[in-house]
Amino acid sequence: MDELEFLKKDWKKQDANYPKLSYAQIYNMIWKKSSSIVKWIFIISVLELLISTFLSILFTGDDYWIQLEKYNLKNITEVLFVIGYAITVFFIFKFYRNYKKISATDDATTLMKNILKTRRTVKYYIAYVLIYNGLTAIVVFSYMIYFHLNSQDQTLTKYSLDTLDWIKFIGIGLIVLTMFLGLIWLFYRLLYGILLKKLHKNYKELKKLEM
Amino acid sequence: MDKALEHQFVTNLEKDQNIVHKICRIYTNDQASHNDLFQEITIQLWKAYPKFRGDSKFSTWMYRVALNTAITLYRKKKRGIQTQDYDTVHFRIKAEEYNDETEQQLTLLYNAVKELNDIDKALVFLYLEDKNYREISETLGISEVNARVKMNRVKTKLRNILNP
Repeated sequence: MDELEFLKKDWKKQDANYPKLSYAQIYNMIWKKSSSIVKWIFIISVLELLISTFLSILFTGDDYWIQLEKYNLKNITEVLFVIGYAITVFFIFKFYRNYKKISATDDATTLMKNILKTRRTVKYYIAYVLIYNGLTAIVVFSYMIYFHLNSQDQTLTKYSLDTLDWIKFIGIGLIVLTMFLGLIWLFYRLLYGILLKKLHKNYKELKKLEM
Repeated sequence: MDKALEHQFVTNLEKDQNIVHKICRIYTNDQASHNDLFQEITIQLWKAYPKFRGDSKFSTWMYRVALNTAITLYRKKKRGIQTQDYDTVHFRIKAEEYNDETEQQLTLLYNAVKELNDIDKALVFLYLEDKNYREISETLGISEVNARVKMNRVKTKLRNILNP
């Protein structure tokens, strides 16, 4: 006989052997706190969104604006800022919409897909913040170097650097940047590893053989 | 949410709680985890209850939410002390009419099911609950053909576990 048929026969016989919870026990349970991964994903995502937004504001304090004014970059930065905020709002909206779509009443594949989609939105947002700030830093930095080299200001030319100094300067800058990005990457791997390992595995298993 | 809804929900779940217990039996290995998962499934069912339209049977709707919780939503709690595996204790009660050989084979089969991955467990569970391939494919969100192929592979897997 087929293994599963054999099992099914016994399975049905087991029906009377399960624990029986009372009405009151079940009633108490519905008020307990959930520990589902969706709750964790929501908390972590909101934290990430808040922290990255907070950091972009922090990096662009008063000093930043004074510097920019000095280098005549204020206008273009203001435009970039507005665009930046619009993009942030867009991501938060998209995150919220995806999050709302997560429903335990969907089929297993759809549920997993929606959870992964919500996570992806936040991942893209972080990538966007990193790339945006990285690019801005590079542009501002290059402009400053350019400005420095062309400056006629005596107090500035006093600090003129030779080629070797420039290489050192840029080299250190790159190392610090790489370490910073490496740390963020590591943090992400850990976070994903812990939270979504099971989900990824099961999702792959479901999609296997699917056209 | 109003009292009537609460009452309706708890009454329904009390009646159909076996479905949840069965899922807990397949997906957990000890009584404490069983209780944890049962609680999480109950919470998820309750949270989703306002979306239950009544166009399907309460039990049918339960399969979906409960399996989703076991497979995707539930996060296992870390436990310091491993409580005893209930496979050997009371996962199933011996039936009097079986002879020793049948009994032994059944124990092996139940243990083999425990070794399957989460998705295969879901397939086996739905099969044991007399769900047809259309229902299985709808619950898991895969095509019917895929459900059949996967089920055949599960059978092969079980056979291989039993006869290495």
